[in-house]
Amino acid sequence: MTDQRRFFEDIPVGEEFESPGRTVTETDIVLFAGLSGDYNVLHTDAEFMKQSIFGERIAHGLLGLAIQAGLFTRATIAFATLAFVGLRWKFKGPIKIGDTIRVRAKVLAKKETSKPDRGVITLDRKVLNQRGEVVQEGETDLMVQRRRGD
Amino acid sequence: MATERHYFEDVVPGEELVTPAMTITEAHVGLYQGVTGDSAVDAENVPELLPLAITTGLGWRVPRPPLAVKAFLSFEWEILEPVRVGDTIHSTSRSAMLRRMRDGGLVVKEQQIVDQRGRVVQRGRFTFLVEHRPKHP
Repeated sequence: MTDQRRFFEDIPVGEEFESPGRTVTETDIVLFAGLSGDYNVLHTDAEFMKQSIFGERIAHGLLGLAIQAGLFTRATIAFATLAFVGLRWKFKGPIKIGDTIRVRAKVLAKKETSKPDRGVITLDRKVLNQRGEVVQEGETDLMVQRRRGD
Repeated sequence: MATERHYFEDVVPGEELVTPAMTITEAHVGLYQGVTGDSAVDAENVPELLPLAITTGLGWRVPRPPLAVKAFLSFEWEILEPVRVGDTIHSTSRSAMLRRMRDGGLVVKEQQIVDQRGRVVQRGRFTFLVEHRPKHP
C-alpha cells in the first residue's frame, strides 16, 4: 500500500486549510477541568462568572487550543509529521458554551534543518467562532519527513 | 466571603514554584483524545499538549491562594522530548517579568515540565493579565 501522507516537499508555502466546525459544550469544559485539574472559577463557577466581564463560564484556553489541534487533523490529509516542536499562541477572546469553532490555517514557512530527511513547516492558525471572530491565533512548528533522505 | 486570592501586587519577581507531580496514564490519554480529537504525532507518545494541560492543574495545587488571573493572554512553547504513558511529570515556574497596567498587571512566567528522570521535556513562557488587589476588600 502506498503512503498517503503528505511529505515536506508536497506542502507548498501559502497553502490554506479550513476545518469543519465543532460546537464547544458544557460537557467539554467539565471533562477538560477533570482531566487537567484546572478548576479555575473562569471555567467552573457559573454564579461567579455572571458578575465577570464574560457573563458566563468560558472554556479553558488550552481546551480551545487542543480542540483546534483535533480539528486541524480533519482539515487535510495527514502530514508525515515526525514531531510537534513548538508554538507561539495568543488568546484573543473567550470561547463560551455553545460557540462553534473552526480552524483556518496557512503554510507560512518551510525551513531546512541540519538533518536531510526532515524539515520544519510553520503554520499560521486562526481559531474562528460562529461570528467569524478570531478567538485564538498563532503559529505552530511541525517537523515533517522528507520523501527522500538524500 | 470571597476566597482569598493572590493579586498582581502579591506576585514576587523571580519567585520559583514547584508543583506536585502526576503520573500520566492511558486514562489521561483516552480522555484527552475523546474530548479534543487531538492525538500524538507518534502513537508511542502521549499527545504533546496533554502534559501542558495537566501541569496547569498541578499549578493550582501549590499550597497558596490562587492567582487572580483575569485572562491568559499568550504563550510560547517548545516540545523538547517525548512523554510516554507511565512518566511522572511536574512543573517549575518562575515569575520573570511584571508590568503594571491600568486594568491589571502583566505577569510573564517561565515554565518547564520535568519528568521523573529530571529531564526538561517541554518549556516556554506564559503571559497572564492578573487583577490588582482591590482597594476596599
